[in-house]
Amino acid sequence: MHWSILIIIFLVAMILGYKIIDRVPSLLHTPLMSGMNAFSGVTLLACLGATAGAVATNGVFRVILGMIAIILSTINMLAGFGVTDRILKMFKKSGKEGK
Amino acid sequence: MFSNLFSLPLFLEAETIVRSAGTTTFYRIASVVLIILVLVGLNRMSSVEKSLSGNRLGAISMFLAVVLTLWYYNIFNIWQIWAALVVGALIGSYLYRKVDMIQMPQMVGLLNGFGGLASMLAGILTLAGSDINPAGTVTDPTFSGITAGLAIVVGGLTWTGSAIAAAKLHRIMDQKPKVLPGHQFWTSLTLLISLVSAILFAFPPFNEAGSARTLLIIIAVIAGNAFGYFLAIRVGGADMPITISLLNSFSGVAGAIAGMAISDVLLVAIGGIVGASGLILTQIMCRSMNRKLGDILLGKTASKPKAPAAKAEKAPAPAEPAAKAAPVGKTAAPAKSEELSPSEAAAAKLQDAESVIIVPGYGMALSQAQPLVKQLTQALEDSGKKVSFAIHPVAGRMPGHMNVLLAEVDIPYDQLYEMDAINDEFANTDCVIVIGANDVLNPAANTAEGTPIYGMPVLDVAAAKHIIICNFDLKPGYAGVPNPLYEEAETNHEHVQLYLGDAKETLLAILKAFRESKKAKKDAAADTGESKAEAAAVEEAKGPSTAAKLLRQAKNVIIVPGYGMALSQAQPLVKQLMDQLETEGADVEFAIHPVAGRMPGHMNVLLAEVDIPYDKLHEMSDINDKFKDSDVVLVIGANDVINPAANTAEGTPIYGMPVLQVADAPHVIICNFDLKPGYAGVENPLYEEAGKADDRVILLLGDAKETLKSVMEEL
Repeated sequence: MHWSILIIIFLVAMILGYKIIDRVPSLLHTPLMSGMNAFSGVTLLACLGATAGAVATNGVFRVILGMIAIILSTINMLAGFGVTDRILKMFKKSGKEGK
Repeated sequence: MFSNLFSLPLFLEAETIVRSAGTTTFYRIASVVLIILVLVGLNRMSSVEKSLSGNRLGAISMFLAVVLTLWYYNIFNIWQIWAALVVGALIGSYLYRKVDMIQMPQMVGLLNGFGGLASMLAGILTLAGSDINPAGTVTDPTFSGITAGLAIVVGGLTWTGSAIAAAKLHRIMDQKPKVLPGHQFWTSLTLLISLVSAILFAFPPFNEAGSARTLLIIIAVIAGNAFGYFLAIRVGGADMPITISLLNSFSGVAGAIAGMAISDVLLVAIGGIVGASGLILTQIMCRSMNRKLGDILLGKTASKPKAPAAKAEKAPAPAEPAAKAAPVGKTAAPAKSEELSPSEAAAAKLQDAESVIIVPGYGMALSQAQPLVKQLTQALEDSGKKVSFAIHPVAGRMPGHMNVLLAEVDIPYDQLYEMDAINDEFANTDCVIVIGANDVLNPAANTAEGTPIYGMPVLDVAAAKHIIICNFDLKPGYAGVPNPLYEEAETNHEHVQLYLGDAKETLLAILKAFRESKKAKKDAAADTGESKAEAAAVEEAKGPSTAAKLLRQAKNVIIVPGYGMALSQAQPLVKQLMDQLETEGADVEFAIHPVAGRMPGHMNVLLAEVDIPYDKLHEMSDINDKFKDSDVVLVIGANDVINPAANTAEGTPIYGMPVLQVADAPHVIICNFDLKPGYAGVENPLYEEAGKADDRVILLLGDAKETLKSVMEEL
């Protein structure tokens, strides 16, 4: 894929994201941040490919690096979404006790 | 085994594998669909009701993205990948269940760092020749080289910066901004080396695998991480919301750049969205703190040299505040003509007020006073006052910090107002209670030209009819600008009352005084609910000493723990109390109801955690007969499971439910948060008995930790 297309995709995503996220009320800024945090674990996709490549080319050291990268990004993603879920569940409206 | 797996024919000719055009087309379409799903999920974050499903939609999209990637690269059969995924998933799910809400800022920081580190490793692997680039997506090697280099640099700085931010928030590291000799020079140098090394990856001899490239990778890793270190080390505590937001943005950008290096559309787009989100938050935080991003990154602390110690840096030592709270009365109320203590004066003002706005700040978070804020809110609302909360965008240590803390203690979010929504209300408000906030309401921001906070949007607290400020000390806030309201507290006591000390202590005193003044006001009220509350107020005054007297004389004590103990994390105190009673020769046992707490065996786990031997923990059927032989029963945060109504009140939901026969005991001390019925909604007759003179039932209301503490002090 031509590099300019990638740059354009990046910019468009940023602008779209900016428009949508700008509407999030400050009440939800912590869960927004922790949710976004989880999304930054998307780098897992790159780690998967790179680890597979390392396995295919017999690079033991690179395989280990790749596995560490997968572990870290998986933690990032899973814990990020989990924590966000926990936080969001705490927000309650008046009058409604519990669930 | 290794050699066998490594010789998988899968990617030996990775560059030449041509995925069919159909496969690639499907992959691209699926990527776009997933990106749209993520955006739809994000869109739902703009309202509280929809946010939970929005987050879950995002999580599902990411799961599908992983599956899609595995399918596209056709790498389902590599065990190393599965092993790493499983390990990551296990650790991740453990972490998010385990973390306390109090630790959320550092948790977010640390996770952020993990993402950055992973991006850095992905960049390294790409440069080391491990990318698998199915044909049709082959990227321009120059572009790929530079972006992979940038991924190393940005990922590395995200990792180190986040790790330092997390360490500072967790107080492993000193929270003060730290400036090293030649800081500016080193920051610039490492930044320069980072950028240059990233660009060099496009040029010979670094543009192909070899020792030159390996060396450059190492240089880029070191430079990027060093830059992150210099960046984060000189950011002080109160600037953390900005730093965390910025690092959040970087972690997204790092992912996007790593995606560019391997031409992955999904990565580029989602990384971009995260980058944008972090950028927005950074902007909002900067605007609300009246700080320029550059200044923070260059370590220009807002504090004037005269007042380098920001209030935020003062972590109150647990024992200190109590001692400090005492002399405060003198400082704060010298001009008072009546014989009112500061807390009584505050209570009187609150009693007269119709509307109250509470302004929470980082001081509340530091002293963990949220449960008391909730109680005070409840008490005010019970007397018919309107209570709202004014949340400044940068109150606390991360965006939305106060909202999370208040939500955790069940304060409904529709009572929380953003600055713009509430600023006009202050003028019509009778009483404002400021809890551990300073800069965000400093009127000097409107008038004091030339100070760091001039022009910063602040909460217009000064417009209110009366202001009660609970703050740890008189020092200026993080910005180092003295707050004129503090001076007014000396001269115009009718407008501003200053109450120094740990927020928890201060609020407790005000709350007690408020309850007492309320009792005095409605002494003759006959309605039962009211009289109960009053009885409780009376008990509250003499309760702890009576309770302590009973415990001193007791030979057999049974402790009944409930969820309230877990909520207030009072287990260590329970253990202490047990030890104290046992050294005085008493026999202490625990009665555990099967459904006490929130999961089977909850109480057992909690008590085991503080080293209470399990042979002291007794099941209901084993101990129920022993209550009548015991001298005192101490109930800590349990209600339904000891409610005698279960035996008698036909037709109620708990009728016939087996309960602990606490009522058989000669004396019952109940520590409970409030007088509300438990989860089952049935009134507890023991509470009615509390007011009576025979001391059979003593009711101690409030946070279990506080209550136990006051009892133990009397012991």
